[in-house]
Amino acid sequence: MPRIVKRILVWAALGATFVVFIFPLYYLVATSLKTKAELFQAVPTLYPHQPTLEPYFSVLITRGFLGLLINSVIVGASATAIAVAVAFAISYPITRLPVQRGMRNFVLNWALSLRFLPPIAVVIPYFTIVRTIGLYNQIPALVLVYTIFNLPLSIWMLKGFLEQIPAEVEEAALVDGGTRFQAFRLVLLPLAATGVLAAGVIVFAFDWAEFMFAFILTATPQSMTFPVGVQGLVTQFEIIWNDMAAGGVIAIVIPLVLMLFARRYVIAGLTFGVIREK
Amino acid sequence: MTAIGSGGAMGTAEASPPPGPFGITERIRRNWSARSGQERLGLRLLLPIFGVVFIVATIPFILAVVRALTSDTGAFVGADNFSRALGNEQLYESLKETAIYGSLVLPTEILVGLGISLLIHRTVKSPVIRAIIYVAAMIPIVIPQVAMGVVFRLLYIPDYGLINALLGQTGHDQFLWLSNPPLAIFAVASVDVWQWTPFVYLVMFAGLQTVPPESVEAAQLEGAGSWAQFRHIALPYLRPLLLLVIFFRLADVLRVFDHVYVLTGGGPGRTTEFLSLYLYRIAFRFFDLGQASALAVIVMAFMIALYTLISRFLPADTS
Repeated sequence: MPRIVKRILVWAALGATFVVFIFPLYYLVATSLKTKAELFQAVPTLYPHQPTLEPYFSVLITRGFLGLLINSVIVGASATAIAVAVAFAISYPITRLPVQRGMRNFVLNWALSLRFLPPIAVVIPYFTIVRTIGLYNQIPALVLVYTIFNLPLSIWMLKGFLEQIPAEVEEAALVDGGTRFQAFRLVLLPLAATGVLAAGVIVFAFDWAEFMFAFILTATPQSMTFPVGVQGLVTQFEIIWNDMAAGGVIAIVIPLVLMLFARRYVIAGLTFGVIREK
Repeated sequence: MTAIGSGGAMGTAEASPPPGPFGITERIRRNWSARSGQERLGLRLLLPIFGVVFIVATIPFILAVVRALTSDTGAFVGADNFSRALGNEQLYESLKETAIYGSLVLPTEILVGLGISLLIHRTVKSPVIRAIIYVAAMIPIVIPQVAMGVVFRLLYIPDYGLINALLGQTGHDQFLWLSNPPLAIFAVASVDVWQWTPFVYLVMFAGLQTVPPESVEAAQLEGAGSWAQFRHIALPYLRPLLLLVIFFRLADVLRVFDHVYVLTGGGPGRTTEFLSLYLYRIAFRFFDLGQASALAVIVMAFMIALYTLISRFLPADTS
């Protein structure tokens, strides 16, 4: 086979894969822009003939999903802030100060091992704890659970970022007569800020996407998160596909936009720093 | 790794703990003052916070074990819950379905992801197209699986679902993707493949960047074919990443829940009731918390054993 034919075939295969891959997302967006009338056509249309934002209004305002969206943002922002702050407090000493190897490895291995446990295995004790301390169907319950679940990832990501900052920059500050705290606040913190933000964005995206715990630990719109609401649309109002699709689009857009900001760090984060993008 | 001497301004004035009766605190104290100021500062920053985190995160595991050994009224029942959990025939059906699901998605994701990464690495040289593919491949990783359930419902449901509509239009019979037992598992597996093949691609593509181009050129000069180049030059660089991906995805198969719950709810029958969904049903549909806790403890023990076995292949620590 001539080289050029081979090349065309490879490009065609890659192109086809890309189309198959992106099509489901396209179809979700297209459906979310359809009118009710268009839904009831015998054959679903491939694109909205009279594009409308009405399904978004319907989901957010009429069905009151705006409240769930706000819950999701509150839960995600609080849990992310706490997880990243705690992870920073743990990663700083193990990367920047001469803590014994054994201690350091224990912390890191402990965090890594938590990643491998299926969350369903601890859902019953969390359910029991949350019921006992009166947090069932309360936002703080989700903040607590999400904080714990994202700590391992946060610790590993921040460890990776802090390790990359050369020790010399802090030493220089110390030699110049600064205290360790000044070296931390004026030298290290500004250098680490990007990494901390990236970790925050990734953790927020995971908090945002979490479904199982939110589904089990909440019962009413007072504390439900957005994915729980979307799941409810699927089972109860199957006819209203455009609303369902609009809910799906909103659930996808927020982590997607955040991911664009943190794109250089997503893979490093997910593989616990084994893969580093340059 | 941070070789800063004991010259820090903080950590010079130490309050030593009071001497204890049996010389234990005395020993701790001597041990403590043998450390450098920096090291003491490190431990003093680390231990309180890590201690609290460790305890808070460990309590649920202990409670799960306690619950697995007791009845609803809190009386100790020994291995009763465990024998009920292991005696439940539905557990083995669920494990079988989980294994089928895993053997559908893992090889597909790894082979397709690896194949695409090799193709793109060899064919696509434009940095712009590579960057577009990089960002596109990251989309499925960060979006909620519940939303993916919605997306694939729009494709698979009868009548309105796009695939069935197209089949109907071209004069074919509809497929009940989500309610026909042999098809449903393929339908939910397809979501997994859609969502995680790009992840395998990203990891493998990053791995291919680490293969030195000189070795590839040398091999080409010696006339090595594509397969030989892959087998002897790229694969050694990819092997640790492949192991990593396999372990991560293996652990993930045991946590599959969201998109299956949205698409089939574990049905039809119980043919897509994978381990997490099974445990959920025992706990929150039958409210048999004893049996479910016993099962959770077994799953934990299994994962701890697996983790111990594989942890030496993981990125334990490099410095």
